[in-house]
Amino acid sequence: MKRILAFALLFVMCIGVFAMTGCDRQQASAQPPVGENPGEQGTQGEVQTDEQGNTQQPTPQPVAYDVPSVGYDGSEVTITFSHTMNATYQGVLDKYIAKFNELYPNITVEHAQVGGYDEVRDQIKTELTAGNQPNIAYCYPDHVALYNVAKAVVPLNSFIDSTIEVTDAQGNKTVLGLTAEQIADFIPGYYAEGAVFDNAGTMYTMPMSKSTEVLYYNKTFFDANGLTVPTTWDEMKALCKKILEIDPDCIPLGYDSEANWFITMCEQYGSPYTSAQRGKYFLFNNDQNKAFVKEFRSWYEAGYLTTQELYGGYTSGLFTELTDKNSYMSIGSTGGSMHQRPEATDDGYAFEVGIAPIPQVNPDAPKAISQGPSLCIFESDNKQEVVASWLFVKFLTTDPAFQAEFSMTSGYMPVIKSVENVPAYKNFLDNADGGEHIQALAVKVGREMSNMYFVSPAFNGSSVARDKVGVLMQYCFVTPADDVDAMIDKAFKDAIVECNNAQ
Amino acid sequence: MAKQMKVLTEKDLQQVTVQQKIFKVLSQIALYTFLIVMAIIVIFPFYWMIISSLKSLAEYRLSIPTLFPKEIMWGNYLQAFQKAELLKLFKNTIIVGVVSTILSLVITIITAFAFARLEFKGKNLLFSMLLGTMMIPGELFTITNFTTITEFGWYKNPNWFEGYAVLIVPFLVSVFYIYLLKQNFMQIPNELYLAAKVDGTSDFKYLCKVMIPLSLPTLISITILKMMGSWNSYVWPRLVAHKDYYLITNGLRSAFTDAGSGEADIPVQMAAVTIVSIPLFLVFIFLRKYIMKGVSRSGIKG
Amino acid sequence: MVDSKHQWKAWLYLLPAIILLLIFTVWPIFNTVRMAFTVYWDAEAPAGFDEDGMQLCDENGNPLWGKYQGYTISKDLGNKKLADDDPAKVKFEFGLDNFIHVLTYDGFWTIMKNTVILCVLTVPLSTFLALLIAVCLNAIKPLQRVLQTIFFLPYVTNSIAIGMVFAAMFNIVGVNTTDVAASTSVGIVNTVLMVFGLDPINWINQGSTYWANIAVMVIYIVWNALPFKILILLGGLQSVNKQYYDAAKIDSTPKWRVFTRITVPLLSPMIAYVVITGFIGGFKEYTSIVGIFGEKMQPPGAAVGVPVLQTMVGYIYDNLGNAEGVASAAALLLFVLIFAVTLVNLGVSKKKTHY
Repeated sequence: MKRILAFALLFVMCIGVFAMTGCDRQQASAQPPVGENPGEQGTQGEVQTDEQGNTQQPTPQPVAYDVPSVGYDGSEVTITFSHTMNATYQGVLDKYIAKFNELYPNITVEHAQVGGYDEVRDQIKTELTAGNQPNIAYCYPDHVALYNVAKAVVPLNSFIDSTIEVTDAQGNKTVLGLTAEQIADFIPGYYAEGAVFDNAGTMYTMPMSKSTEVLYYNKTFFDANGLTVPTTWDEMKALCKKILEIDPDCIPLGYDSEANWFITMCEQYGSPYTSAQRGKYFLFNNDQNKAFVKEFRSWYEAGYLTTQELYGGYTSGLFTELTDKNSYMSIGSTGGSMHQRPEATDDGYAFEVGIAPIPQVNPDAPKAISQGPSLCIFESDNKQEVVASWLFVKFLTTDPAFQAEFSMTSGYMPVIKSVENVPAYKNFLDNADGGEHIQALAVKVGREMSNMYFVSPAFNGSSVARDKVGVLMQYCFVTPADDVDAMIDKAFKDAIVECNNAQ
Repeated sequence: MAKQMKVLTEKDLQQVTVQQKIFKVLSQIALYTFLIVMAIIVIFPFYWMIISSLKSLAEYRLSIPTLFPKEIMWGNYLQAFQKAELLKLFKNTIIVGVVSTILSLVITIITAFAFARLEFKGKNLLFSMLLGTMMIPGELFTITNFTTITEFGWYKNPNWFEGYAVLIVPFLVSVFYIYLLKQNFMQIPNELYLAAKVDGTSDFKYLCKVMIPLSLPTLISITILKMMGSWNSYVWPRLVAHKDYYLITNGLRSAFTDAGSGEADIPVQMAAVTIVSIPLFLVFIFLRKYIMKGVSRSGIKG
Repeated sequence: MVDSKHQWKAWLYLLPAIILLLIFTVWPIFNTVRMAFTVYWDAEAPAGFDEDGMQLCDENGNPLWGKYQGYTISKDLGNKKLADDDPAKVKFEFGLDNFIHVLTYDGFWTIMKNTVILCVLTVPLSTFLALLIAVCLNAIKPLQRVLQTIFFLPYVTNSIAIGMVFAAMFNIVGVNTTDVAASTSVGIVNTVLMVFGLDPINWINQGSTYWANIAVMVIYIVWNALPFKILILLGGLQSVNKQYYDAAKIDSTPKWRVFTRITVPLLSPMIAYVVITGFIGGFKEYTSIVGIFGEKMQPPGAAVGVPVLQTMVGYIYDNLGNAEGVASAAALLLFVLIFAVTLVNLGVSKKKTHY
């Protein structure tokens, strides 16, 4: 009995202590989601302007940052960089940090792999609550939106436009910002990703290395049966039917990611998915989207396709496996091209892999999702750290040698065009084939798709929408229903409610 | 009883023993079958860990896994050693494990002693409150504790003391161990303590000379549990450990991810995990007797 | 009577533990309580309004109050712009909104249902199985040490390995929901079923039933709990005085009677302990579900709304990111629940425990 009393007392005490501290505003203002110090970058509230282009509003200006007028003063600073690179990639990074240090010997770059992308995000989220964030981080747009709730990400426009002269250790004078040639060197779609956070054009990120989705197909099988690679979804449907006639045991197409698929279809149809405007975030509940989901449900039921979750194993495994039931096409990331190649045997690879852009709704306005990490810079009390971070980010994103070598090591696509001037890289692309050099082929096809790239609007919680549409797609495919339209209707409504709940 | 005995003839007795023998053999067979079937079920993931560590990545990715590797890849172990800087990780883990175990033992002993033998106001209340803290989901502590260690300045650019302290200090007190040891201490007869008092022995001396030796098995099992905890801890070290002070688990998780697809090179990861599990396994085999004794002596009471 | 000199000494012994607990346990708990009862809103982010001051509504015409990142948006403030130094800009108030948010969450009953089902099934099953294994282990001579070691192995098996192996064991690749046997290939559990002439079951893949999912979770959780429970119970058994058994032998009491009349009562403190910690663990279930079903907490496409296997800790984790207040409130509710169940458990075990 005594113990029970004690438990109750403990509970009462907890509440009692709350009464003492709970109403203390000073204390409470240390709560994480509300940034303590907006800093010099103005407020998010002003940045979020009406998307419809309200005429009473002045043209929105990108958020400015107060760049020290001396630029980099040469002082000794240590900057930290959180990323997801494994040991092999870190080898490349270390090599180029050494080169960077030839230019700026007083800037020490410390970097560490935190884990995967989600782990980087979670780690920094926690670090921000204590003001302990790194200087630079690998990021996806929705991470930046999350960090920006605490107003911790440095807007880069003032750096990019800066004409302050910086002298490096070898006596070269360069501008702190980017030259017009450097900006033009970026693949436009990638560069534009840095400014998806408002409609004022504020750049919060610089692209680092990129990937997109492509169609891998069994070229040996296609050639043997005289099949052509589909460029539209209509052609894809006819092709799936045909392949099933040739091999009734197969599942013609595997699509790795349901969420990517849904988002890409929205973009290809030009129907709304999400917007970055508060209160109007989730727009994907519309007839156009329901129509394509219903159409693909009928494909799924006809046995034309499967996805990774629905299949219960890697769709790349389905594509490369020869003993089991298999597929002849697989849509997946260029970053995972090594997994889309069958295992090597003594006589080479079991089949040749072909790579093509993904099918389109309208081939005249093609769209393909752009993924892969960007870099963002965080606020710091020491402005020189911010400047030094900018110099390093600029170095990584604009140096053709680094971009080329990193791409060759990782299979990711470089973000600048001038990598082609690097002889080794040209050689790498020239050797591209559907076997030994499949990484090169994936990069090559991905680079040819540069006019297709899109990114979705980023806001704090955009990843929730992404998760939900993935589940929505699965649910609509597999749920038995007498009235399919009603089932899909309800599922879309539920998904919207869940998105709002998670907010 | 006696009556029954009289009725039994010698022949009957023989029959009974034969029956008993058959029954005994049968029940032994049933017993062993049951235990061995359960053992196979229990051991399966361990077996899985080992065979996975010997597969190639392509074989591991087969949609239905093979029960035995087609080609044994010893190279995974070599890769594990090279990629993860295992020696550094081992060093850090051993330092953190040993230091935190020693400090934790000292704190556990003196706290359990106070609760078991000393009298002070509010003892039961305080002890119940300690037990109550065990019921709160630990996830909630993480963020506040992170802020705290930051306030201490232990997070950014730590020196060696801060780098290790951040991994050791927050987990020095374990209510569970205090509870375990307190129960053990309480079973030591009070008369011994009173006798010692009469002899003029100080509390501290009594603790060192009588109580600690008598509860050695429990202390050993606490030591082992704590060591295993340091060996397997993951969430907190991942959050706070500086690169130079990474523990085994941190190093393992991050060393083998393929940044291209974000996928882990699981066979190599498993190889590393196997290497790491071996010391724990050996410790258990050698100290099994003490672990069993420790737990049984603690005489857990509801 | 306790003399004061002694008191002073006792507190000295307790000092290190108390200081550390205050910093790393008590303070976080207070912080949690405070956050749970704090309702705060950022006046600069009036989510309920658009730029023209028009109230935003959801599809059914309900205003979007309080649905933004767990902040409650004040109705009176509207879209008013405030000066940077206005104390009303970021405001914290005492309130129960976070608790209401949790209790009115659509998924709350799903969470409760899952928790109760998992606890009710796993705790008795794992305790009984552990007891059985412990008694059997205690009854054998040869192989005893080897088997003991084997039953302890899960303790040293890395948790990453365990999650992966379970998912692979129950997985069906290329599942065909209408005819599971016609699926491309099935995991080892279904292979075993088929060897015995049984139909394979869709355990965790798309289209699997809720009870199949629960069955897998029960097996996994019981499996996971076994080594610790066996260790505790076997330890208890080995300390039981042999005299009781010798007496039973003379009396030639049947085995099962020995078990129910002697073993169980003598072990009752250990059993009580194992049951109570089992319930506490059951209420905190999360990682095991993620281990098998991933962070979506359900088989693919099972539900668009609340994940069918969502639990309280899963819900807390979901909210930890952008709604700390809601997460804290949920954690406190969880604490109250565990507390209540533990009280009941203690009450029952007081009556049933012999010693």
